[in-house]
Amino acid sequence: MIAVLVVVVVVLLSQGLLKSLNYFETVDQALGQRASLGTKVIRLEGVVEPGTISRTNAGASFTLTGTGSNHVFVSAQGSPPQLFQANIPVVVVGHFVSSTSLDFVGTQIMVKHTSNYIAAHPNRVKAPNGTTR
Amino acid sequence: MIKLSQRLLGPLTLLLLALTFWLGLWVTPPDAVQGDLVRLLYVHPPIAWVALYVSFGTATIASCLYLWQRTRSMTMDRIAYCSMEISVVFIALTLITGSIWGRPTWGVWWAWDARLTSTAILGVFALAYLALRRANDDPTQRARRGAVFAILTAINVPIIHFSVLWWKTLHQGASVLTSTGQLNVHGSMLWTMLIGFVGFTLLFFWLLRERYRLEVKRDRLVASTVDEALAQRRREGV
Repeated sequence: MIAVLVVVVVVLLSQGLLKSLNYFETVDQALGQRASLGTKVIRLEGVVEPGTISRTNAGASFTLTGTGSNHVFVSAQGSPPQLFQANIPVVVVGHFVSSTSLDFVGTQIMVKHTSNYIAAHPNRVKAPNGTTR
Repeated sequence: MIKLSQRLLGPLTLLLLALTFWLGLWVTPPDAVQGDLVRLLYVHPPIAWVALYVSFGTATIASCLYLWQRTRSMTMDRIAYCSMEISVVFIALTLITGSIWGRPTWGVWWAWDARLTSTAILGVFALAYLALRRANDDPTQRARRGAVFAILTAINVPIIHFSVLWWKTLHQGASVLTSTGQLNVHGSMLWTMLIGFVGFTLLFFWLLRERYRLEVKRDRLVASTVDEALAQRRREGV
């Protein structure tokens, strides 16, 4: 019984289960496997570049950046979540227009906020190291 | 001393939780990114802490102590059972408060990422533990099987804890128990959160104590009804 369970677990792990537990591909990863991804639906993660957001009736378009000069042009449908803003990491569900294009068509935007919590009115709060933030 | 702390447990729990709510709702500032949504920080992480580590942890430790010959007693079994029952409630609250926080911040009520999915699986495990106990009337067998099951499923707890490090998740990483030791919560927000952690932890122990007392009474009642039934049969036999 236990032997069977161990075998099942090992098989699942070796079949890439651990890898598939990643919720999204980063912009860098997606661009790295651009050719093999094609127009497959993925979750794409990147940071919203400031000054590129334009809201339309159908949704919003903006540029997602990875590290360095990696970037993807996203046009997403549906109203973005209320925290959606410049410089925030987001996860967009959608697909590339073609296997060579940098244009990404999104059907849903999710905001992946960080685990940093800082007061909105900086002068009221002191950081643990004594500086006011 | 022990008696005094027992008497103070209830009032202290109430005081700390009231303090958390007061600080969380009125004193602490809104967050730079999240605004007032950050106030869930004083409720959701402490509840998740109690669900995963305090209550599931207590159930696991008590199960180990039950299985170990030298510390085996019905007390350990009862502690394991009662803690697991509380864990079910807190896991449910974790998922509910997380969902309420997720909708306005992430934009979705639920995401099948590693952190959320593994937490939901732990909830199913905890329910399965309770079901397993109901499936058996023999107290010794019930205790032993329950203990083994609890220890096996506890493997999921470190998986949940490290899920945000091992895999890419929509759920944010740690704010307090970070791998670098850096605190990502500032000023009064941090203190309020920590008071919340202590408050909800005390709430667990208060609930455990009350639930444990109830379980002892229930066991006594079952024993006395069995004795009574036996006595009646003997009278009938005579």
